[in-house]
Amino acid sequence: MTANEFIKKVFFIEILKGLALTLRHFFTPSVTRQYPTEKREPFPGSRGLHALVRDPETGREKCVGCGLCAAMCPSQCIHIYTSEDDDHKKVVDRYEVEVLRCVYCAFCVEACPYGAIVLTDHFEYSGYSREELYYTKDRLLHNWDKYMANSKGREYLEKFWRPKSEDFGVPAAGHHQAEGKKAT
Amino acid sequence: MIEITIDDRKLSVEKGITILEAARRNGIKIPNLCFDKRLRPYGGCRMCVVEIEGGRKLASACGHPAREGMVIKTNSPRVRRVRQSVLEFLLVHHPLDCPECDKAGECALQDLVFEYGVPETRFTGERKHAQPDVRGPLIELISNRCILCAKCVRICSQYQGRGALGLIGRGFPTVVQPAFGEVLECDYCGQCIDICPTGALISKPYKYKARPWFLEEKENICSFCGVGCTLTLGIREGRILRSKGREGAGINDGNLCGRGRFGFDYIYSENRLRTPLIKEGDEFRDASWEEALTYVARSLSSIRDAHGPNSIGAIGSPRCTVEDNYMLAKFMRAGLGSGNIASSEAFGYAGALRAFSLSFGIGSNPADLASPLGRDVILVLESDPTITHPVFGLNILRAKREGSRLLVADYRETKLTRHSNTWLQLRPGTLVALLNGMMNVIMDRGLFDRDRVSGIRGFSSLEAVVKEYTPAMVSEITGLTGEAVTDAAVTFANAPRRLVIMPLAVSENNKGPGSALAAANLLILLGEEPSSLQVPAEYCNTYGMLEAGIMPRGGGMDVFDMLYKPGHLRALYIMGEDPLVSMPDSRKIKNTLRSLDFLVVQDIVMTEAAELANVVLPASSWGEKEGHFINAGGLRQRIRKVVEATGKSQPDWQILRNLGLAMGINLGAKSFQDITKEADDFIAGGRREAEGAPRPAFHPVAYEPEEPCDSEFTYTLVTRDVLQHSGNMSTRSEALKLVQAEAFLEINEKDAERHAISDESHIKITSRRGAVYLRAKVTDAVPEGVVSTPVHFPSGGINELTHFSGNTCSRLDAVKIERVK
Repeated sequence: MTANEFIKKVFFIEILKGLALTLRHFFTPSVTRQYPTEKREPFPGSRGLHALVRDPETGREKCVGCGLCAAMCPSQCIHIYTSEDDDHKKVVDRYEVEVLRCVYCAFCVEACPYGAIVLTDHFEYSGYSREELYYTKDRLLHNWDKYMANSKGREYLEKFWRPKSEDFGVPAAGHHQAEGKKAT
Repeated sequence: MIEITIDDRKLSVEKGITILEAARRNGIKIPNLCFDKRLRPYGGCRMCVVEIEGGRKLASACGHPAREGMVIKTNSPRVRRVRQSVLEFLLVHHPLDCPECDKAGECALQDLVFEYGVPETRFTGERKHAQPDVRGPLIELISNRCILCAKCVRICSQYQGRGALGLIGRGFPTVVQPAFGEVLECDYCGQCIDICPTGALISKPYKYKARPWFLEEKENICSFCGVGCTLTLGIREGRILRSKGREGAGINDGNLCGRGRFGFDYIYSENRLRTPLIKEGDEFRDASWEEALTYVARSLSSIRDAHGPNSIGAIGSPRCTVEDNYMLAKFMRAGLGSGNIASSEAFGYAGALRAFSLSFGIGSNPADLASPLGRDVILVLESDPTITHPVFGLNILRAKREGSRLLVADYRETKLTRHSNTWLQLRPGTLVALLNGMMNVIMDRGLFDRDRVSGIRGFSSLEAVVKEYTPAMVSEITGLTGEAVTDAAVTFANAPRRLVIMPLAVSENNKGPGSALAAANLLILLGEEPSSLQVPAEYCNTYGMLEAGIMPRGGGMDVFDMLYKPGHLRALYIMGEDPLVSMPDSRKIKNTLRSLDFLVVQDIVMTEAAELANVVLPASSWGEKEGHFINAGGLRQRIRKVVEATGKSQPDWQILRNLGLAMGINLGAKSFQDITKEADDFIAGGRREAEGAPRPAFHPVAYEPEEPCDSEFTYTLVTRDVLQHSGNMSTRSEALKLVQAEAFLEINEKDAERHAISDESHIKITSRRGAVYLRAKVTDAVPEGVVSTPVHFPSGGINELTHFSGNTCSRLDAVKIERVK
């Protein structure tokens, strides 16, 4: 043991250094948030509670009940039941999400050809029973009204997800028109 | 055998088959949209193009025969490119409504586009935007999605023998439609739905109900006719949503009729029984199983003690499983000591069994569904197997296409008469006279082996009876010309491989066991084996029910004594049968049922007979219980529990076992396995007993007219089956009711004119027994002087008109008709 080491041991130099660090942090700004009282704005596009997009034109859900979200869902938490209405159109009778089983992968959003389901940035939900966290169609539409109000929903879809239906449809006129052989 | 090479694989294949067939048999997949093994090659879709080495152009595999030494590439880049273009062309017009289309997920076009990649979309074109045709009851045509592969058109005309659909128009506007764009009116077999590669033809009851990947698929045996087809059921949330055939599954190999495809929903009928009911005064009240069974046990015990076991009878059901029927027989025989066990088949298949045992000396003669194939001549006798056994009927049509001569003797026009080579339009119920006349001709001309046949017992008496039936006399009875009878006899006798088909349905009053006996005489005369007489058992478990012991034995009464003679019985136990609808002369039966001290009805729904019962016990239906059905061919097939039982209902065998326990009788059968094994052993024992070579004998039958028309009752009433129904169980199906919801009376145009009756007008039909009101259906399918009606419908009450006598030739009724204003 050298003299230097001896002095360090006797005067608790290392400990004082540590305490100095601690002391310094008393005067630096804090990174911890006092969560329930102090809340942070979620990043746009973050994945929280589900919502069914309400079609502004009809006031009903945009969903046609194709079931691709349910087919894609890795935790099998989406249940869709459809039927035929009086006009022989397909209507969604029930669209149910067992939120407790969801893993927030957003495959459902990706699979949807119409951009009819979204994950809102609302992540704070809890309940005393499973039923409270079993979201039915009406509750999911309500989520849209509540968490994706105004232009928020549209921005979300345009920014983060592009509805696949844009890939469908006929090509624009003039684009690769079929041309027969011209007589020369 | 020839040698070909497909995709570097050296194969040895049969000569004359197509490249596609050769590839299919060797497990090589060539994509296609318009091929089906039941149909002739069409070459319409061009998806199956393959490259043949040395060939300048690509060839379609479905229409190109394989030749010695061919080297074929099914998946070369050139082939793939062409297939991609084919899909691209299709997608120019095909709507992209996959998210709504019911076919998505099992769509051949979708799968191929997925496999070959999304096309470049180089072409613009107008997408089709016609409105779907939603007018028909069960099948919807969505012409937008049609890719004109014409599979539906071809299966309907080539295979189903109906031809209800056609390709209308040319070029781009071509659509698949019924003639003149009218409402689709067909057999509603739905084969076109299964065969459609896209979603252009869809099932209306299933429309938008669920996507295929949500469905749990389970297989079960159909509960309607005796063919015993395998249904692939789509189940979601414990409810059957659809039924379809699957190629390679079961004896039907993917074919189904409308009943099997749409009729399963009778198990969701509104009037399903959910709890035991006990009658108090005139009203039923709900009861617990304990209470109901104790009540039944006490009542049956006291009747047995007071009047002896033979005062109690039971009726079994051709709809219930082997286990259920075996348990009923055991309960009656071993438990109560009564031999009075019978069924409605006394009017149907049990009569045929009597005929088999008298004529051929055999206890059973299971039908062979493939029997029509490869015969030179097929004689169908006053029946329409395409209605009673539709999938069996398809084989008759197929045999005809493959070159068999089809002779049909029937009073009315049917699908088979339209396809026949010769239609012998005789008067209803005169079949025995025709058969005797044919035998007369055969004997007269020596078209049989006299040395071999003359030694058979009863030959001389047959000769004596048949001698009278000269073509002239037969012509007088049947209304056929003498030449027609002679021609039919000569054609039939001269053919090397012959077949007679005549299902004996409970509902049909134009033939009887005597007719089967006469047919057997004809076949024995020509030296034929019993297998040449095809009498398929009518319902899903008719064959099994009779084998399970639902037959009066040891001096027990048959239904004729039990139901038509009041006072013979004190108590009756009916399981899964409604004698008031299915058996003739329902007024008499009603009187008998009313005269009983105690009536128990065990059924799945509230039937007419159940209304008269003291206790009604709810049974689990098909699909809600395990068991076995034995089809018309004697094939034992497992039926499975695919959905939960309705309400408190229980399987029939379980109810009977519990009832036995309540009476202090231990019938064993702790579990389903026990009862299956026991029933199985019993049936195997019965089959061993019945084994042995046929001992043919002639039992000549003389023609006896039944209730001839007179000046008051001027029409002959013929009862029959319709294609959409089977027994009265199918009338509880909402889907089948969309096609045929109520009874109707078919009447010839000229007769209708005489009574100023038009289509749909109400008419009153009166027989010597009673009168009923029906709607008229004016048609030229029935001849003048004959009216015809289906008996399935409880609301129709047709059996109030009919009667039953000892006549074995027919049970025809004379009726009069009035128009109701």
